[in-house]
Amino acid sequence: MEFFANFITGFSVALQPINLMFCFLGVFIGTLIGVLPGIGPVGTMAILLPVTYGIPPTTAIIMLAGIYYGAQYGGSTTSILVNIPGEAASVVTTLDGYQMALKGRAGPALGIAAFGSFIAGTIGVIGLQLLAPPLVAVALRFGPPEYSSLMILGFVILTYLAQKSMAKALMMAGVGIILGTIGLDTMTGMPRFTFGIPELLDGVGLAPLAMGLFGISEILLNVEKKIKQELLTTKIKGLFPTREDWRRAIGAILRGSGSGFFLGILPGGGAVLGSFVSYALEKRISKHPEEFGKGAIEGVAAPEAANNCAAQGAFIPLLTLGIPSNVVMAILLGALMIHNITPGPMLVKEHPQLFWGVISSMYMGNIMLLVLNLPLIGLWVQLLRVPYAILFPLILYICLIGAYVINNSVIDVTIMLLCGVVGYLMRKFEYEPAPLVLAYVLAPMLENALRQSLILSGGSFGIFMVRPISAGCLVVAAGLLFSSLLPRIRQKREKIVAKAKEDE
Amino acid sequence: MQAERVGSLFWFAVGLISMYGSTRLGLGTLREPGSGFLPFLAGCFIALMAILVLLQSFTPKKEARAKLAALWEGVNWHRPLIISLLILGFILALESLGFIPTSFFLLLILFRWVEKFPWRKVLIVLLLTLGSTYLLFDIFLKASLPRGILGF
Repeated sequence: MEFFANFITGFSVALQPINLMFCFLGVFIGTLIGVLPGIGPVGTMAILLPVTYGIPPTTAIIMLAGIYYGAQYGGSTTSILVNIPGEAASVVTTLDGYQMALKGRAGPALGIAAFGSFIAGTIGVIGLQLLAPPLVAVALRFGPPEYSSLMILGFVILTYLAQKSMAKALMMAGVGIILGTIGLDTMTGMPRFTFGIPELLDGVGLAPLAMGLFGISEILLNVEKKIKQELLTTKIKGLFPTREDWRRAIGAILRGSGSGFFLGILPGGGAVLGSFVSYALEKRISKHPEEFGKGAIEGVAAPEAANNCAAQGAFIPLLTLGIPSNVVMAILLGALMIHNITPGPMLVKEHPQLFWGVISSMYMGNIMLLVLNLPLIGLWVQLLRVPYAILFPLILYICLIGAYVINNSVIDVTIMLLCGVVGYLMRKFEYEPAPLVLAYVLAPMLENALRQSLILSGGSFGIFMVRPISAGCLVVAAGLLFSSLLPRIRQKREKIVAKAKEDE
Repeated sequence: MQAERVGSLFWFAVGLISMYGSTRLGLGTLREPGSGFLPFLAGCFIALMAILVLLQSFTPKKEARAKLAALWEGVNWHRPLIISLLILGFILALESLGFIPTSFFLLLILFRWVEKFPWRKVLIVLLLTLGSTYLLFDIFLKASLPRGILGF
C-alpha cells in the first residue's frame, strides 16, 4: 500500500509541467553529450550546476539526474556508428556494436541498445523504489561511527576499483580531503587554508573544482591532438530488432540489468564497471562465445542494459545514506547541499516530494529517451558531424561564464583554471581525478562524523570496532587493502584493469 | 619513470606542507580533535602514498613504463599552453573590459587564429554564441555579468 502512496506522491511531482520540461532538458542534454566526443556527464553536470541555483531543488536534481542516465543512452550511438565510445560506460558496446554496424546491422544494434536501455532503466527505477525504504530504515540506526567507517570503506572500494595505481588513487583521496576542509571550520569557526582570501572562507566551490578537473582538463588534453571524426556512411535502416534478435537479447538484457543494478549500488562501481562485468558474464555463459567481438547482439544488449540500470542503482546510497557512490553522485550531493538539503535517511521524511519526485521522474525520463533515441536517431547522427574545433571553444566559453556567474567573482574562474591545469597534468602523470572529487565532497561529513565519534568515546578509536556495522565496514576495508598487497590478487586486479584499458 | 618520480615528489611536498599547515591550525586532542586534525591525517596519508609511488618507480614494470611513455609521446605543448594563457587573459580582462568585449576577443582568437576558421564562419559563430549566451545568462537567468569600461 505504501508503495502506491509513494508512487502517487512521486508522479504528482514528476508530472508537473516545470519538472517535465527540465526532465526533458536533462535527458536531451545527456543524450547530446553522450553523442559528442570530448565532454562527459561529470563535466556537463558541473557546468550546469550554477544554472540550477535559480530553480527549485527537486527540478534541479531531476534535470541533473536526467543528464546522467541520458548520457548512458547517447554513449551507445557513437560506440555503434563510429567505434568511439561517447562515454566511458559505452566502451564495451564498441566491441560488438561496431561490428554489427560494419555488417549492415547498425539499425538493430541501435534499436536493441535503446530498448535494452529502456527495459533496464525501468527495472532500475522499480528496484530503487523497492529497495530505498528498507535501506532508509537501516540507515536511521547509523550514528557517527557507522558513517565514518562507511565513508572510509567507500574510499577504499573506490580506490580498489581505480583504473590506474591504487596508491595514486588513495593519494588523490587525501588531496580531496584537504581541499574539502578549506574554509571556515564548522565546529570552531576557524578559517583553514584560506591564505587571507575572503572568497575562500566558504571553501572551494564544487562547480569550479569539477569544471576544472573534468571540463577544462579534458579540453586541454583533446586540443593536443586532432580528434578524428569518422562516420559510417551506410544508411541506418530497420531499427526494430527481429524476433530472433529479441530471443537472443532478452536474457542478456535481464541479466545485465541485475548485475548492473547491484554494481551500481557499490561505492566506486557505477555504470562503467556494470557494463564490463555484464559483457564478461554474457560471454562466459553464451553457447557461442566465439561470436563475441564479431557482432553478437548480446554483446550490445547486456552492457547497455547494465550501464543504464547501474545509473539508477547508484542513486540508492546517495538518497538513503547520503553517501555518493561515484563522482556523478558526488556532484548531485553538492547540488542538494547548495539548496540546503542534506541527503540521507531523513531525506525521505523531510523532503518526500523531492525523494519520490526524482525517482518517478526517471520513468518519464526513460520514455523520453526511448523517443529521443529511436525516431530521432538521424538528428544525433548529424550531430556527430560537428567538428571538435567548433565544439571545444564553445564548451570552454560556457565553462568560463558558468564559473563566473556562481558568485560573480573571477576567483571561481581562477580556481577553475588552476584545477584545469592541475587536472591536465594529473592525467598526464596517470592520477585519477574521481577519488579527489569524491573525497572533497565527503570531507566535511567525514570530519564531523570522525570528531563526533571521538568526542562520544572520550578519545578512543575503539568505538569504531565495538559497533557491529562500523566494525564490519572497517574489516572489509582492511581486507581489500590487504588483498591488494598480495601478489596474486594484485596481478589479477592489474590484469582486469589492463584488459579494460585495452578494450578502451 | 622520471615523470613518476617528479609527480610523487610534488605530492610528497603537498603532503608535508599540509601537515605543517595543520599543526599551525591546532591538532587538538583525541578527546576533542581540533581544526587541523583531519587535514593533518590527510597530509600524512598523501606523503606516505607519495613515498610508496616513488619506491614503485624504481622497480617499474615494462608495460607500465610503456603506458606512461605513450601519454607523453608527441605532446603538442603549445596548444594547451595557448588555451591556458587565453583563459588567464580572459580572467584578467573580464571585470575591467566587460563581458561582451572580453568574450568577443576570446572567441575571435580561438576560432580565427587557434582553429583557423574562415572569417565568414568566425563571424557567424561569434554572433550566434555571444547572442545566445547574453540572452541565456543576462536576460533569462538574470546573472549580473560585468559591464566594464564600455558599459556593456
